Amino acid sequence: MAEKINKKKTDETVRKKQIEEIIRSGSASNEEEAAAVLKKQNRRRFWKKIWNDKGFYLMFIPVAVLVILLYYWPMLGIRFAFMDYKPVGAPKWVGLANFQKMFSTGAFWTSFGNTLFLSILKLLLTTFTSVIVSVFLNEMRLLWAKKTLQTLIYLPHFMSWAVVAAIFSLMLSPSSTGMINGILKDLNIIDPNGSGIYFLANKAWWRPIFFLINIWKETGWGTVIFLATLSGINPELYEAAQIDGATRMQSILHVTVPALAQTIIIVLILNLAKVMNMFESVFVLYNSAVYDVSDVISTYIYRQTFTIALPNYGYTTAVGLFKSLVGGGLVILCNWASKKIRGRGIL
Amino acid sequence: MKKKLVSVLLATGMVFSLVACNSGTPATSEVASNGAPVGSETAVVEAGEYDLTSISMVVDGTLTATVDNGQDAFKSQWEEAIKEKFGKDITLNISQLDHSGYTDAVGRLFAGGDYPDVMIMPASMFAQYANTGLLWDMTAAYDNAEFQSRIEKPEINENLKRNGKLYGFSPAYGNGCVTYVKQAWLDAVGLKASDIKTYDDYYNMLLKFTNEDPDGNGKKDTYGTDAAGFLKTDEAPYINYLPEFWQDAYPAIYQNESGEWVDGFQEDATKKALERLQTAYKDGVIDPAALTDSTKTAREKFFSNDQAGSSGAFAYWAGTWYQTLTDNLVKNEVDSELVMLEPISEVGAYINREAPVWVIIDDGDGDNSREQAIFDTFIDTMLDGGRIQVLWTYGAEDVHWSTKAESFVLNKGKTDDSGKSLEKAYEYAEGEFHLKQSPNDENTLWKKNAMDPALVIAPLVGEYADFTSTSELAAQGNIFFVSHCKDAHPSPVSDTLTNEAGTINDAKNAVISKVVVEGGDIDAAIEEYKNTVGSIIDQALQELNSAE
Repeated sequence: MAEKINKKKTDETVRKKQIEEIIRSGSASNEEEAAAVLKKQNRRRFWKKIWNDKGFYLMFIPVAVLVILLYYWPMLGIRFAFMDYKPVGAPKWVGLANFQKMFSTGAFWTSFGNTLFLSILKLLLTTFTSVIVSVFLNEMRLLWAKKTLQTLIYLPHFMSWAVVAAIFSLMLSPSSTGMINGILKDLNIIDPNGSGIYFLANKAWWRPIFFLINIWKETGWGTVIFLATLSGINPELYEAAQIDGATRMQSILHVTVPALAQTIIIVLILNLAKVMNMFESVFVLYNSAVYDVSDVISTYIYRQTFTIALPNYGYTTAVGLFKSLVGGGLVILCNWASKKIRGRGIL
Repeated sequence: MKKKLVSVLLATGMVFSLVACNSGTPATSEVASNGAPVGSETAVVEAGEYDLTSISMVVDGTLTATVDNGQDAFKSQWEEAIKEKFGKDITLNISQLDHSGYTDAVGRLFAGGDYPDVMIMPASMFAQYANTGLLWDMTAAYDNAEFQSRIEKPEINENLKRNGKLYGFSPAYGNGCVTYVKQAWLDAVGLKASDIKTYDDYYNMLLKFTNEDPDGNGKKDTYGTDAAGFLKTDEAPYINYLPEFWQDAYPAIYQNESGEWVDGFQEDATKKALERLQTAYKDGVIDPAALTDSTKTAREKFFSNDQAGSSGAFAYWAGTWYQTLTDNLVKNEVDSELVMLEPISEVGAYINREAPVWVIIDDGDGDNSREQAIFDTFIDTMLDGGRIQVLWTYGAEDVHWSTKAESFVLNKGKTDDSGKSLEKAYEYAEGEFHLKQSPNDENTLWKKNAMDPALVIAPLVGEYADFTSTSELAAQGNIFFVSHCKDAHPSPVSDTLTNEAGTINDAKNAVISKVVVEGGDIDAAIEEYKNTVGSIIDQALQELNSAE
C-alpha cells in the first residue's frame, strides 16, 4: 500500500514539473492550458510509442485472435445455464430455474462437500508425504540407490487412472481372487470363511483407500520440486550445524525442513486453486454404493449428462458454472495468500 | 484500484452480455424446431422426391459385424445390393458406438449436434425420445412397406405405437435372459437341473456351488451366481440378470393389471426381493464384487479359464449367447455343456424385453421425402426376404457365410482336462448354406449379424428360404426362451421421468447398496428413497395416469 502511495506522489511531482516546463517554454500561459498541452503531448507520445513498436503489436494480433476464439468464444456456452437445453428441441430460457433446482438438490450439496473434502485432504496428504520422501531421499548417500528409488517412485505418476483403477480393483476385490482380502484371511485378520471387505464399495473404507492410491501415485512426482529446493540449500548450514554438535535428525529438523517451508506453502497455494477440478481419479474408483462419500461435482455432472437418455444440458451447465465460480474464487484467494506470503501473486 | 474496478466491471459486463445472447438456438448450427439439423451434407432436396446419396447410421453392439469382424465386407455388399435394387449408389456410413456405454455415447453425439439419419435405440431410450419430435413418424411408411405381406408377428411393431403413431421399427422381437448352469458343476455337487423347480431348490444349488468346491481345486473360492449389478437401473427390464431373486417384483414404474401406473420400487414384492438378495449376499452365494462388475467382467468370470472366483449359474441372453457361452467354456477348457434352467415356480416365466428399435431422425423441415427415402432404402429393405435381409441376418457372403464347398476345423489340437479332443470339424458341399469361422477368431463359428434368424418377424423367402443357422444351441436356446417367456412391462413416457431419470436411478442404487451390500434395514432404505425422490415419482405417476 505504502509503495502505491509513494508511486502516486512521484507521478504527481513529475507531472507538476512537466507543467512548469510547458509554462516556462511559453507554450501555455497558465496551469490549465499547460495541463491541456501536456495531455495532448502524452497522447501523441502514446501513439508514437505504439507506432515505434508496431512490429510487436502486429505479432500480437494472431495471439489475441486465438485467445478470443479459444478462450472467450466457448464461454458463450455459459448462457445455456439459464436455459432448458436438451438434445432435442430448441433451448428455452428458464432464468434461474436450473440454479434453484441445483441448490435444492441434496446430491449436489453432497458432491460439493465431497469435492472440497477429497481435494483438500488429498492435497495436504500428498504434499506431506512428498516432503517426507524428499527429505529422506536427500539424506541418501548412495547415489545409485537414490536415483533408482527416485525412478521407481516416479513411475506410478505416468500410469493412467484407468490402469491404476483396474489394478487396485483387482487387488481389493472382495471375491476370492482379491489379493488383499486373501492376505487378511490368511492372517486371520478377517473371517477366513466370510466374504471379505468390499473396500471400494464400503463407505468407511472408500476414502482411506482413495487417499492411499493417490499418495502411491502422486508422491513420487511431488518430490521433484522439493528435491530441487533441497539441492539449493547452502552446505555451510549443515557444516555449521555439525560443528555445533547437531545430530543428523536435528540437522533435518532445523536446517532442511525450514528451508522447505516456503516451497511447501507455494505448492499448497498453487494447487489450492485447482481443487474443484477433481474428476478422473474419482470416476474410475467410485460406484453407486459410495456416492455419499465419493461423488464430486464433476462426476455428478457426468452422471446427470451422460447416463440418462435425454439430459438437460442447461442444468449441468449451471452446475458447471457454479463449480467454475467457486474455482475462480479460490484462485483469487490463492492470489491474495500468495501476495501476503511471498510478496507476489500467482496471476 | 480504478483499474481493478474497471476490469471487474468489464468481466461482469461480458458475462451479462453473453447471457443476454439468448437467441434460443444453439450457436453452432442451423436447427429445426426439433433441434435436429436441417438437411444433410450429401443430399439435395428435390420437389417431392429426395435424391439420397448416403445414409449415416449409428448402432451399438447389435451389429456383430464389427470393424474387426468383417464390417467392410458387410457395408460394401449392402451398398452393392442397394445399387442393384434401386439402380443408384448410396453410401452407408456406419458409426458403431460402445455397446455398454451407448446411452452415454449417443448423448455426447447429440450434444455435439451430430444427428445420424438412422440409429438403433434400446427400449428405455426410445421411450424417452418417442414424443420429442426428433423421431420421424413412420406410421404411413410402415403400413405401406413392401415387407408388410411377409410379416408374421405384426404385434411387435403394433405394440411400439404411441397414440397410434410409430416412431421406431423393430425387425425382431426383444429376447431376454435365461439362467444357464454349468453341467460339470451340477455333476460335482450331485444335482440335476431338472430338479431345480422352486426358489429353495435354486438357493440350495447356489449354496452347494459356493460351499462344495464344484471346480475341484480344493479351495472354497467359487460362487453360486454373479451379475453385473443387482439391479440394472439404466436397462429395461432391469431385473433380468437375477430373475430368481426378483421373482414377481418390478422395481420401476409400470402399469398394473387395472391399468394404473404405479411405482414397483415401493411395493412389497420389491422389499421381499431385496430381502432375498440381502440374505444371498450375506451367505456369499452371489459374487460379492457383483455391485461393481461390468457385464463384460461378469461374463468373462463365468467362462474364465481360471474358475477361482467364478460362479455356477449365470442369467444371460437366450439364443445365440447360449452358443457363445458354451463355445467360450469349451475354448477355455472349462466345461463342454451348459444347461438352461427352466424358470422356477416363483418366477413363472423369463422376461421378453421390449425390442430395440431402428429410428429415423426427422430433420423437422416439414418435408417427408428425405425420411421416406431413408425408410425405403434402409428399413424396408432390411426385411426384403432376400439378399439384404440375409446381410442383416447372417452378414457378408464368403466372409461370414457361404454356399461354396469347404471344410474347416475349430479348436484344432485342443483337448480338455481329461484329454478329450475339443476339435470340431465342419464340411460343406457346393451350394450348401453354412456359417464360416468368425473373421476375427478362427476357433469360433460365426453366429449371426444384427438380426437373430430365430427372432426376426418376417422370414427369408425364395432362393434364401433355406438359409437357416446351423448353430444348434442357438436354435435350442431360442425355442427354449420363446416357450418360457412373458412380455416385459412397456416403458413409461413422462416428462418428469425424462428430466429426473438420473436422480431416480441414483436413489434406487443407494437403496440397493444400503440393503444388499451393507445389510441395512429395508423399510428404512425405502423410506429414504421416498424422502429423496417420492415427490418426483408422484409427479410422474400423476402425469402418466392423467394421460391415460
